[in-house]
Order: sequence, then C-alpha cells, then structure tokens
Amino acid sequence: MDNMKTYLKKFSESIFSSLASSEDLGLFLHSEDSLFLRFNGSKIRQNTTVSQHEITLTYQADQKKISMTFNLTLNIETDLNTALKKISQARIDLPQTDISPKYVPLVNNGVSDVYKKIDRPSDEKISEIISELFQDSDLAGLWCSGPLRKASVNSKGQFHYFETDYFFFDYSLYNGPKAAKGFYASENFNVNEFKLKAIETKNKLNQLQKPTVQVPRGQYRVYLEPMAVAEILGTMAWQGLSQSSYKQGRAPLKKLKEHELYLSEKFTLLENFNLGLSPLFNSIGEISEPEVMLIENGKLHNFLTSTATANEYNLISNHANGGEMPRSPEIRAGTLNQANILKKLGTGLYLSNLHYINWSDLQTARLTGMTRFACFWVENGEIIGPISDLRFDETVYNIFGSGLVEFTNHQEIFVDTATYMKRSLGVLKVPGALIENFNFTL
Amino acid sequence: MQTQNKENLFFESEFKKYRGLADFVAFKKIHEHTRDLSARNGKPDNIRSFDDSGLLIEIMCDGHIGYGATCQLTTEGIKSAFDQALKITEAASKHSVYKFNERVRPPANGEYISARQKSLDQISTAEIYDFLKTTSLKLKSSDQIITATSDAMIIECDQKYISSNGSDFHQNFNIVINSLSATAQSGPETQRRSLHGGRGNCRQIGAEHFNLQNALSECENISREAIELLTAENCPTETCDLILAPDQMLLQIHESIGHPLELDRILGDERNFAGWSFVQPKDFGQLQYGSPLMNVDFDPTVSDEMASYKFDEIGHLAEKKSLIKNGILQAGLGSLESQIRSGLSGVANARSSSWNRAPIDRMANINLQGGDLTLNEMISKISRGVIMFANRSWSIDDYRRKFQFGCEYGKLIENGQITKTLKNPNYRSVTIPFWNSLAGLTKPDTVETYGSPYCGKGEPSQIIRVGHSSPYAMFKNIEVFGG
Repeated sequence: MDNMKTYLKKFSESIFSSLASSEDLGLFLHSEDSLFLRFNGSKIRQNTTVSQHEITLTYQADQKKISMTFNLTLNIETDLNTALKKISQARIDLPQTDISPKYVPLVNNGVSDVYKKIDRPSDEKISEIISELFQDSDLAGLWCSGPLRKASVNSKGQFHYFETDYFFFDYSLYNGPKAAKGFYASENFNVNEFKLKAIETKNKLNQLQKPTVQVPRGQYRVYLEPMAVAEILGTMAWQGLSQSSYKQGRAPLKKLKEHELYLSEKFTLLENFNLGLSPLFNSIGEISEPEVMLIENGKLHNFLTSTATANEYNLISNHANGGEMPRSPEIRAGTLNQANILKKLGTGLYLSNLHYINWSDLQTARLTGMTRFACFWVENGEIIGPISDLRFDETVYNIFGSGLVEFTNHQEIFVDTATYMKRSLGVLKVPGALIENFNFTL
Repeated sequence: MQTQNKENLFFESEFKKYRGLADFVAFKKIHEHTRDLSARNGKPDNIRSFDDSGLLIEIMCDGHIGYGATCQLTTEGIKSAFDQALKITEAASKHSVYKFNERVRPPANGEYISARQKSLDQISTAEIYDFLKTTSLKLKSSDQIITATSDAMIIECDQKYISSNGSDFHQNFNIVINSLSATAQSGPETQRRSLHGGRGNCRQIGAEHFNLQNALSECENISREAIELLTAENCPTETCDLILAPDQMLLQIHESIGHPLELDRILGDERNFAGWSFVQPKDFGQLQYGSPLMNVDFDPTVSDEMASYKFDEIGHLAEKKSLIKNGILQAGLGSLESQIRSGLSGVANARSSSWNRAPIDRMANINLQGGDLTLNEMISKISRGVIMFANRSWSIDDYRRKFQFGCEYGKLIENGQITKTLKNPNYRSVTIPFWNSLAGLTKPDTVETYGSPYCGKGEPSQIIRVGHSSPYAMFKNIEVFGG
C-alpha cells in the first residue's frame, strides 16, 4: 500500500465534514504489510504475510470521549460507511457517560510527514538466504520485515504521518540444550555484515562446549551484556516510569520519587528520540522534545506524563503516550572498556540474556527473572564454563543503585521486536553493566 | 442478519476462485467486536471498542503450509493476499520443516455457539458503564482506597472456516472478562486486592453475567481486604506447607502444566521466544509428573469455560482428554501438525489469536480434578503453613522448571487453624518436585473456574484465551517468603 497517506487524507476529510461544530474527532492509524518467517531447525516452520490497516477514531464532545478501532478495507465507500456508523453510535453512547478526568481537548499539533526506506532482499529470497547460511546449525527464530505506517490526524487540522520499512532477524542457535542468541537489524541489509553476525553467534555457541558449572544460589558479581540490560529496562518500562502508575499506587519507583532512595550516580535514563526509529508524535499527535530526561545521575527527573494524566492531576505533560511507556529510551554509557569486562568481573557470572522478568514486589522495586542462553561462570577473569539457569530476585535499587559498579563505554541499539497483535515500533539503546551482590534465589 | 448473509456469500464466492490453485486452500474469516470499558473511582477511565475483521488464507504447496492474512475484505484485497501468500509459500516449501498432507486438515462441518441466556449484543454500552461506575464507587469504601477500578471486556467473536477438502464450520463466542480491584495506601504501604487477580475472572457467558448485587458483595470483600493488608504482617520466609486457592492454581496449572506439555515447545518451535520444555517425548506414559492425587484434563467441552469450542481452527473435533492420570504423564498438548511431526498423541488445539496469525499449539482449558477434603479438613492437617489467594506476580524459566509466583493475600496457618492475615505472600519451587509434593485436594464441589485472556506465545507473537479450573490444593514443604 504505497499511497496510504493519500487514502487517509481522503478518508479523514470526508469524516471530518460530517461532524457538528460541537464535536471533535481524532484519528490514529496503524498500518503494516509484513512478512513473518518462522524458523526451526534452520528450516521454515511457518510463513505468514499480513496486510493490516487499523484506524482508531476518538470521538469527543462535552469533555467526554469514546474511542473506536476498526480495520480498513481500503475501499473508501465501505470504510466511510463503517466510520459513520461508529460515530452515530458514539453520539448515542457518549451522553450516557460522565465527564472524563483524562479529557484532552483536541488541538492542531501541526503537519509532518516522514518516509524511511531501506534496502533488503526480496521476500522470496529471505528463506533461501537464511536456510543456506545456517544449514550447518540448528537455528530457531523469526524474520520480520515490511513497511509500517503510523499517523495521527484530527478535525482541528493536524496531520502527522510516519512511514518506515525495516527488518529484523531474531534467532538463537543450539547445540542440544545449549544455546546462543543472535540478532540482526540494520538500516540496510548487508549480506557480509549478516554473515559476520552469524559467525559471532556460532562462535559464542562453541564457547558453550565446556562442561556446565552448577552454581549454587547466592549473591554474585555479574556482568550483564547490553541485551540483558535491555530486558531489565523493558520490564522497568512496564509501570515503572509512568506518572499515572505512581498516582494510582502502582509505582515501583515510589521511593525514588519521594527521595527515600536513590539509584547510582552512574545511572542516567532518558527518552532519546534522536535515535530516529520512532515517530516524534504520540497517538494524539503531540511532538515530544528530542530528549526527555527521566532519571539523571540516579535521581528522578520526570516520570513519563501524558497530557491526559497531566490534566487529571494538574501536572505538566511531557507528551508521553497514553500508556506512559518509553518509546525510545537510552541508558547512558559508562567507562568500562569492552576489553576489560572479564578482568573487571573477576569471579562471578557473565550473563548474555535474561528471561521472563516480572515485578515480584512493586513496593521494593524487586524484579525476578531467569538467566537464559549463553551465560558463564568466570573465575579470575577466565571463562570456566556455561552455567545451569539461575533465578534472580533483586531490586532495581541494587541493580542500578548500590550494586552498580560501572556501565560499559559501548552501547547497543535494539529495535522493538514485539509482535503481539501488530508490530511494535520503538527502539532502545543501552550499555552493558557490571553489578555486585546480585541475588540469585533458585 | 442480512448484512452477514451478504458477507458470507461474498466470502464463499471468493473462496471458489482460489480453492483449486494450490494443493490445499482454506479461508478463515473472523469478526470480533470487543467493548473494553473501565471506571476508576466512579468516573470513566476508558471507553473503547475494537472491531477486528479479516481473513486468513491457508495454502499447502508441496506439503508446506503457508499463510496470507488481510483486512482488505474486497476482491482486490483477497487476490493480493492470496497471490503474495502463494509466492512466499512456494519459495518456503523448498526449505520446509516438514511435509504435511491433508490429514492435518480434516473435513469438519458444524457449528458452536457459546452457552448464554442473553446475548451480549443485548446489553448497551450505557448499561455496562453504569455497572462499572456503581461497582467502582462501592470499591472506594474509604479514603485509604486511592484507586478503585472496575473494568469489563465484552467480546463477541464470529469465526467461519471453509476449505478445499470440504470443511465448512462456524463458531460464535460470547465472552466476558470482568475485573474489580482496590488499591489501598497508608504512608509508605500500598496494597492491592482484586477479584481473583488481574483478569482471571473470565468465562464464556452472555449479558446475564452483569449481576449487580453479586458484584457489590464482591466489592465489599475486596476493599475490606485491601485495607486489612495495610497493617498485616509480611509473609514469613521459611519452608512450610502451602495451600493455593483456585484463583492462584489457575496460574500454577497454566505455567507449570499447560506450557511444558505443548508439543510445539517440545519440538523446539518456541525455543527462541517462549522457550523449550523439560518434558521429553519419552516421558509420555512414564513420567511421575506429580503425586498420585494429580489428575489433569484438557477439556474444551465445558460449557462456560473460557476456551471451549467444537473445532480447533484447522477443523479438528475438540474432545476431552486426560493429560495426567494419578500423577503419571499421559498426553501432550499438540495439534494434528505437532502429532504427525512428533509421533505423539495430542489434542485439538491449533488456535490463533486472530485472522492475522497462523494457528499454533495452545492449551485451551486445562483443569485439575477435585479430591476428597473439605477446605477445613485440609487446613486442620497443617501444623504450620500459609494459604495464598489471587496471583499478582509470575515468572518461570524457559524450560518451565524453576518458578516464582506471588499472590495478593495470604493467611498463616498454625496448629490446624488460620491465625492471621499475611501481606506479600510468595513462593518458589521447581515443577516436578512441586507437583510431587501435592498432598491434598478439596472436593469437586469446591472447584472454581477462571482463565486468562492473555496467554502469550509464538513468533510472530499471539495472545490467546485460556481456561483453568481447580480445587484448593495443598503442597508439603515449600519455600515461602514475603516482600
């Protein structure tokens, strides 16, 4: 669908012309044409192509609002008919509700369009490239590619449109139960770069050939690779940085907010839209500052605050999305040189990945989760062997606070690989982390 | 009705154009209308609706099955989706995991309609909002309750499947997911209590679900217990006996029985994302999964449970099957595709989250049978232990061995009697030793049925609806701990 913007313009103009002067309407578009290739044993288990175009109408009047989402058929007559029926129903339902404390009057937040294109192999070629490159390996994973579009339009004249095309290959290689994680995403597909990444992952798998070390539960010094740090940040993002969560009693960082506890001075977290992979506008079309500081040198600067939350609690919005999850977070780099990681770790655990992290106690900001994939026991800076998976249960106040020794001076960028219901669009940039007294419980 | 007939005629006429263009072709059309409303402290929090309509095309080329999905339900949209799916499936068939045949798509004809007294389309959005507003105000029984939330998802889902080898079936689901929760705060202490934890209170039912008097009674209990937790003692850290209420057992069954028995996990399909399984093919018929008290069934035939259906989404007739009998592992949760690949027996559980995802092995309803104790008899058998209610935290490893779960509300048991309320109750263990420590189950008339709308799995990822029923269960010598 190359002319989605044109279609959306025609669709929105027709809908807006049907509104009374007392009514407002916002439109939010998610549109994707995706290829998903699912691999097991380096062969294709399932291939799915998806054309999914979803529009959310937010109908507002008298300080009340209702949102209605449906799929576009891209037949203008059919889609307009559906939209008008939805608006008619909203006109019946809305007066029977109350004024919304989260009401945000629609305003014109401007006009913009961004198009990003990439070079990547044709959809038919991908299965052959991957199957052949990994024919000597036991690979499981997902290739995802294709255009993705977002737009926020409203009856006040706002029209923000963002269209990108990207790919990622999220995979793991196996030797029996031992596994190493691989990941490839780039602005352009480069077959040599792709092969080098594959070799790196194959080499990592070879490091797992040493006998497994059984590490008993206890507290250890650990090094977390950037992907493991990203897993922790991903869970922190769930309620942990949200203003409304704090106001409603679900904030794990309540003690940080209320100056009872602090994180390490080495910990700085911000929304950094300069990373460039996310649209600058949120679902109601507000444009964020290029950088929004959240936690600076261990002290809370800002929770993510949507305008809805700001209106409800009389605060200042920083134009977060409704869910108040970060869209482009970055943890600032530290000083630890990559070549010194094992030496600085000394004796402890080298953890490449973590799995299934969840809050185990919101009040103390405690997280539990598992080690996963290539994780090693290290003694005096030397890898002794892979470990059997361990469960950790540890507070954010130790992980990024009293236990944080240093972040690496290199960071890695990870595109959002979430595909629940539809593809997610986002990115995060994090360094590796050396942490002491990390608590393992099972 | 006239519109639906017109849509079905269009769907069937389009299918006829494509049914002969591959070794096997099937069309699955889904329309799902969801109303998702919530009221917080007596005011609207969210009033939303979702209409998810689309078509999933299945194509078999040289034994490989590929999929094309589109919401463009027009002649041009369907042609584009079919052509693209055929092109990719032909290319992928040269590198396919397995060469299937039509045995994995049995001809199926019939209809399923969720049991209901009053269809969900008979309750208006205003009526639902009033119910939520009234209950959220009831939950806010004191200033200590800072957040009182009542929410409901009302789902009407319609599926139709036709295939080139003669399938033609229709399934219609009415589902209600209704949550009530109260968050209490006093100084540094914050505690939350809810109706059976998160969105565990869910089932196939009609508009008769919205019984205000019952809900108001639940609200009283929830807000009272949230306030009670503010001054409760922390759960002790020790190894003792543990009773889990059915609204925690739902999670225990889901994570440590349902997922490890999925054949696609055992076959490695999920290794990169959701994970593998500690269960090996040789374990079926032999593994002492739990104590002899443990009897677990796959049962998609229960009339009001969350994941009941007549056919799975590839036309396999759904039937009850014993998974674990007297503690011995009997069968896995694998669809026809996984059964053929593994050589193991399975069930009818190829399901997808919607029209835009391929069907994979999902667990549907997994139920633990009742035992022979009353709850009082069970408590009287414990000299020191904890009883825990309603899940609030969960994590398990990618092989489904080491888990740690937390609950909203606990009670200390001393010398056969409940003595005090406990906050922040948690426990951790390893799947097989844990289930082998099962020492008692309450009677079948104490079995309660819950579920989840949010079981996540798959690449690309999918959420699916599952149901779990259980009695109270007693486990010996489990590590428990507090906040």
